[in-house]
Amino acid sequence: MPEPAELETMLAALAARIDWPATPELRVVIRRRAAVLPLRPRFRARWAMAALAVLVILATLLAYTPTRTAIADWVNLHINIRRTTALPTPSPLPSGTLGSNLGLGTQTTLDGAQADVNWHVLVPSRLGPPDAVYLLLPPDGASGGEVSLVYGTSSGIPVSSETGVAVLVTEARGSVNEQFFGKTLSEGTTIEQVTVNGHQGWWISGQPHVFVFIDSDGAPRFETLRLATNTLVIDDGGTIVRIEGHMTRSQALQIAGTLA
Amino acid sequence: MEGRPADEAELLARAQRGDQGAFEEIVQRYQQVAFRVAYVITGSAAEAEDAAQEGMFKAYRALHTFRTGAEPRPWLLRIVANEARNRARSAGRRQHLHLRLAEDFRPGDAAPSPEAAVLAADEGQRLMALVNDLSDDDRLVITSRYLLQLSGEETAAALGIPEGTVKSRLSRALERLRRRVEETTNA
Repeated sequence: MPEPAELETMLAALAARIDWPATPELRVVIRRRAAVLPLRPRFRARWAMAALAVLVILATLLAYTPTRTAIADWVNLHINIRRTTALPTPSPLPSGTLGSNLGLGTQTTLDGAQADVNWHVLVPSRLGPPDAVYLLLPPDGASGGEVSLVYGTSSGIPVSSETGVAVLVTEARGSVNEQFFGKTLSEGTTIEQVTVNGHQGWWISGQPHVFVFIDSDGAPRFETLRLATNTLVIDDGGTIVRIEGHMTRSQALQIAGTLA
Repeated sequence: MEGRPADEAELLARAQRGDQGAFEEIVQRYQQVAFRVAYVITGSAAEAEDAAQEGMFKAYRALHTFRTGAEPRPWLLRIVANEARNRARSAGRRQHLHLRLAEDFRPGDAAPSPEAAVLAADEGQRLMALVNDLSDDDRLVITSRYLLQLSGEETAAALGIPEGTVKSRLSRALERLRRRVEETTNA
């Protein structure tokens, strides 16, 4: 009976004498197949997977109300983003400059606002020059600044007896995630996807009171809709424009169509 | 593994960065061992060729999953061996492999290698037949470790089992083979 070491030596000797089938040439075949389906660079695949994983986890967490509330508490975002039937109304302040009670930031002029932000402020020509302009800079406003155009009168659009405002247009750089902000809408509020001059938009009818978008730093912004009424949101090449007022869908789309 | 060119990790890193030539070089270096591992698992040269090709291509597509600093060879062999096992499984049954020895040394031929000379021609044939008659588990672990001369890590990768299991399985398989050698010698 061979010793274990002896048997191992015999097997190693056998290895040199095996009659293996000829090894096929795989290099060319792999080259051809790889040419049809080229490889993505490693970092892109990894980052894409990581980003996707984060988004999936975030979406899952936010879809679940208790988790969403816990996260809001944790990051000290004490904003009510639950569906509710009792909506807060903005506190009216009839005296003072138009819109000064709405927390829109510092009053400025159109030129002044444009000089303070590095993106183009859009103005709807349908409404003409705004009656008041406000600028809200970080940390209170979104990264890149937030510009509000306030209109006291506009033909065919009723003026709010509480705020004295007919139309409020608010702009900031960022992006919109419909799934995300759709979940923050109150009961009785509907959302409809629209297109204005090739730009994606959302018509929110009812009494929306919170709008969420992702600012240019990638951070979610929970914004109070000041007029708590029908709102049209347009993503105009990365400028998120909100048009609020007691207006019809058609009136809102007309206004948005003249943004320039 | 000792004696292996030190730049294989670099080749793989280059392939990960999109250098297709680097991956082709890896294919060139590993195609023989990959094909033989697949052959041992499937028992068919045609199936082994398909498995090796498919496994290599899957490895190419999965380059981003390769952990920097790891050994490329076990990673590649694991993918090819998985492919071979899947093919053997879907074929319903694994063809029992009968490895053969090359033509024995004849007068006038070049001298046999020192390793081959350790084993007389008839002894080699007897041992080969005994290995072929082992159970699948015993035969695969002995063939991988000694006849394909894979490392412990590579054997584990090829068989899809932990490295610790390779050691215990190999030890038992060798003991059973040793007894059979003894039985046939005494017969």
